Amino acid sequence: MSATTAETTPAKPTPPAKRGYLGMLWADKFATFAAIFLIIVVFCALFGPLLLGDAASGQNLRARNAAPFTLERGFLYILGGDALGRPLLPRIVVAAQNTIMVAAGAVAASFLIGATLGLIAGYSRKILSEVIMRLADVIMSFPSLLLAVIVLYILEPSVGNLIIVLAITRIPIYLRTTRAEVLEVRERMFVQAAQVMGASTFRIVFRHILPVILPTLVTIATLDFAFVMLAESALSFLGIGIQPPEITWGLMVSQGRQYLTSAWWLAFWPGLVIILTTMSLNLLSSWMRVALDPTQRWRLEIGGKNA
Amino acid sequence: MQRMIGKRAISSLISLFGLIVLVFFLSRLTGDPSALFLPVDASEEMRQNFRELHGLNDPVLVQFGHYLGDLVRGDFGDSLRKARPALDVVLEAFVWTLQLAVITMTLVTVAAIVVGSVAAFKVGTKFDRVASLLSLIGASAPDFWIAIVAIVLFSVNLGWVPTSGTGSVWHWILPIAVLFIRPFGLILQVVRGSMLTALGSPYVKTARAKGVKNRPIIFVHTLRNAMLPVITVIGDQAAALLNGAVVVETIFGFPGVGKLMIDSILQRDFNVILAAIMVTALAIFLMNLLIDLAYALLDPRIRT
Amino acid sequence: MKPRYALAGLLLATTTAGAALAQDSEVTIVLGEELDLVEPCMSTRSNIGRVILQNISETLTELDVRGDGGVQPRLAESWEETEDGTWRFHLREGVTFSDGSSFDAEDVKHSFERTQSDQNTCEISRYYEGIDMQFEVVDDLTLDITADPAQPIMPLLMTLLTIVPSETPMEFVREPVGTGPYVLSAWNPGQDIRLELRDDYWGETPEVTAATYVFRSDEAVRAAMVETGEADIAPSISVIEADDEALDHAYPNSETTYLRLDHSVAPMDDARVREALNLAIDREAFLGTILPEGAEIATAIVPPTTIGWNPDIEPWAFDPERATELLEEAEADGVPVDTQIRLIGRTGNFPGATEVYEAIAAMLTDVGFNIDLQMVEVAEHEQYYSKPFVTDGPVIVGAQHDNSRGDPVFSMFFKYDSEGRQSGISDEKVDDLIDRATAASGDERTALWSELFAYLHDEVIADGLLFHMVGFARVAEDIDFTPTIATNSQLQLAEIGLN
Repeated sequence: MSATTAETTPAKPTPPAKRGYLGMLWADKFATFAAIFLIIVVFCALFGPLLLGDAASGQNLRARNAAPFTLERGFLYILGGDALGRPLLPRIVVAAQNTIMVAAGAVAASFLIGATLGLIAGYSRKILSEVIMRLADVIMSFPSLLLAVIVLYILEPSVGNLIIVLAITRIPIYLRTTRAEVLEVRERMFVQAAQVMGASTFRIVFRHILPVILPTLVTIATLDFAFVMLAESALSFLGIGIQPPEITWGLMVSQGRQYLTSAWWLAFWPGLVIILTTMSLNLLSSWMRVALDPTQRWRLEIGGKNA
Repeated sequence: MQRMIGKRAISSLISLFGLIVLVFFLSRLTGDPSALFLPVDASEEMRQNFRELHGLNDPVLVQFGHYLGDLVRGDFGDSLRKARPALDVVLEAFVWTLQLAVITMTLVTVAAIVVGSVAAFKVGTKFDRVASLLSLIGASAPDFWIAIVAIVLFSVNLGWVPTSGTGSVWHWILPIAVLFIRPFGLILQVVRGSMLTALGSPYVKTARAKGVKNRPIIFVHTLRNAMLPVITVIGDQAAALLNGAVVVETIFGFPGVGKLMIDSILQRDFNVILAAIMVTALAIFLMNLLIDLAYALLDPRIRT
Repeated sequence: MKPRYALAGLLLATTTAGAALAQDSEVTIVLGEELDLVEPCMSTRSNIGRVILQNISETLTELDVRGDGGVQPRLAESWEETEDGTWRFHLREGVTFSDGSSFDAEDVKHSFERTQSDQNTCEISRYYEGIDMQFEVVDDLTLDITADPAQPIMPLLMTLLTIVPSETPMEFVREPVGTGPYVLSAWNPGQDIRLELRDDYWGETPEVTAATYVFRSDEAVRAAMVETGEADIAPSISVIEADDEALDHAYPNSETTYLRLDHSVAPMDDARVREALNLAIDREAFLGTILPEGAEIATAIVPPTTIGWNPDIEPWAFDPERATELLEEAEADGVPVDTQIRLIGRTGNFPGATEVYEAIAAMLTDVGFNIDLQMVEVAEHEQYYSKPFVTDGPVIVGAQHDNSRGDPVFSMFFKYDSEGRQSGISDEKVDDLIDRATAASGDERTALWSELFAYLHDEVIADGLLFHMVGFARVAEDIDFTPTIATNSQLQLAEIGLN
């Protein structure tokens, strides 16, 4: 596959959007792995509770902290059992739903709101910009965990409320980054040229500015995905956040932490899944950064030799 | 420049006031402190007395009025739990947090910029891959998990450093190491990304095309142009640290302001929460001001 | 006390903990919860009592928690009931406070009045609630205390009253003055508290010359600190950490966990439903799994060392079939058995709390209850636990109650009287038994309490009693210290020996 890519591309410069993306993905083995892993995670999030919901909540005190890597109790116990003897593998699969919902929801909401406000603040340079920036200051100087605790004490710690809380606390980072980038990009030659040629503000923002700042924002968003999952887990550590019998990966890590020295697998597997998910997102995003950037694309198009 | 600082000071005061209003009313919505200070079987009379003593029986707006009145005179009120001035309690803790934040962020900034830009220059190489991967793994692991594993490994098994607490230089090593990991990973990624963008921009290409072989010059120029988003992220991370590293402080028994804030909200110790918020907010406003100054210095076009 | 650091030399020179270890007669104690106050009249709060009770501040009497000697003299040498409702206490001579002033009856009187003041929020006063007590100074060393209603357990009540000098202001103090063997010599909020031996203590000089208290909320860290030699005693670590037989001691910690039921709300108003609930829980299954092996299945809300604890009560057997049957019977009679019942647990209430409640929820669901488990934080828990109760639907509140004081009187009114703040029942016979037992003394008192426990457990089926809990202390090898049932609320440095 990589060989064909290498042969065909120089000869026939078709636009990569037509045929190249899968090929380019294949060219980056890390990105391929990441994509496959994320597809599995999304599948678990969508169908996990449906398929394994019962297995994940069935308690069995005799299988308490059952050790991993043995098929003695059946395949579901391959990763071991938790403190109530519930098999870890199905629990991780089922927990994907809440975890991904919280993380994706919070990241998407804060990304959209933050970037929009940032564009406005960066481009308008008027009172509006001031108001937005002061708002960001208020949120930013409000310690995120404290805000989360206060809000979750007033509301109850459900998935929806958790998304709201985490989204609010993450808005400033998108807002400030976007604004900073806009301030820089709008002074560049091509934007000023567009302005001189009478392009509308809307067009300038979406055709000229957004594409330039998007890679940075996507990089932050992928890392924020990790941050949000970890913040959710820190809330669990402090005894707030999602409460049992609901499960998330963060909650599993936090509940398993007290067994770190006696039954490491309780905290290790969900922790590993968090790490793998965030890493996959990041690998995919750096692949995307290259694939979407016309000046970098050749790295992938000449095949896997370089990667 | 002076006008800018003055303007910022005024707008910061407005933000601060907004924050006070928000925290004052939000925290009072979370419940009655008498239920937490007194034992569960205390009588209604004792509760009434407690509320009376601390002015919690007045309507909330009246309480707010009293609070603002005292605040103007520099009185932040007393801690409900600790029976002493809330500001003293907060400042004691904030000194620790400030030290922790400054040391950690200095180390993180230097390390992330160096490793991140080298990775960007050598994009696609083994160094780049390994640096990205390791920083990412570190940044993706829950910090309480890392902290406890670190204690078990480095204190209990190897006996290199004390488990927790304060007292000597050695006590600082583990908390700082654990705090270092996440912002390092994040900032490194942003440095690398931003450097890549800058390296791909016309002026660097021009310089390279013109045959400027001097790598240091390219490095410095690129870095300068790549710094804007990096500074934003550094600011964000530093702000997070100034607000206290709750988890690390909790595990290592570090008397910082993060743990104080969470404990205070658990105990509904309103005056301490408010004082803590104000102190950290002030620190963060100052830091944001510095960041804006840094923007202006790096990019003269932004100056207003 | 062998510091294991590779950098031992440097560390010993630079750390306070290390320095403390270098001198053999000092100990470092690591606690889970910091002290907000070091105020004698708050010493019934366990985190404060652990540090100051009998170390800084003493009481007239103390309860013998190591043997069964009952109430023992401390600042009072003897006492007698002179007439109905009046007790005369003869105070110890030659006792001085740490500020040099001498101890007399006026100090006792002031100490009591201080707890009653409305200028502070002293916690001790709750134990004297509803009792009208008059302190009359007969002479310097003789004191009459008259109580209405009469208090047959007056000497026991005096184990709670910490004595401060008569000059102490009503407001909370930050530098407590007491008659105890130690004085507060340093208090660095957030870091540590240090007590040092004073040289003019009236009693026997303890072996420990100074104690440093440090605070770590994570149990794994506390256990690790004793292991590395950074601390000598960790009075409370979790069962998961307690894996070293040479260092770890299990002790009953006087806490009892139970499910409080509100009998006024259906379906809990039906005795069959309450019985089904008790039969549905496999209590044995918890022991040695989620909870430590040493925990005991509870048949009363107070631990077995309390007077009147009834050994004849049989714990509920685990019988899920019978439980299902009972529920079906009740349903046939129109009891709304399938109503969703909220089970409220408190996050971090005791080690393994979440797991315990998750398991109980599963067991109850198995026999046919419709349970919605909610783990909440302390303030929200308090709203469910205390009156006025939440009224929208049936609620089971999982709670933990601590009584290390030897007498059920400190529990029963609050938990079972019609007017008790946490009482889910309203039963005339119970109210009457509580009244009579409170007023009785000697064998009669014991018998009445026993009768009450049996009645509550077998006939009223008042609640779902779960376990008398055990705690674990980790003690360094060269320290001689055995935790007791009272270690939760007091830790006398004088009882620590050094090998």
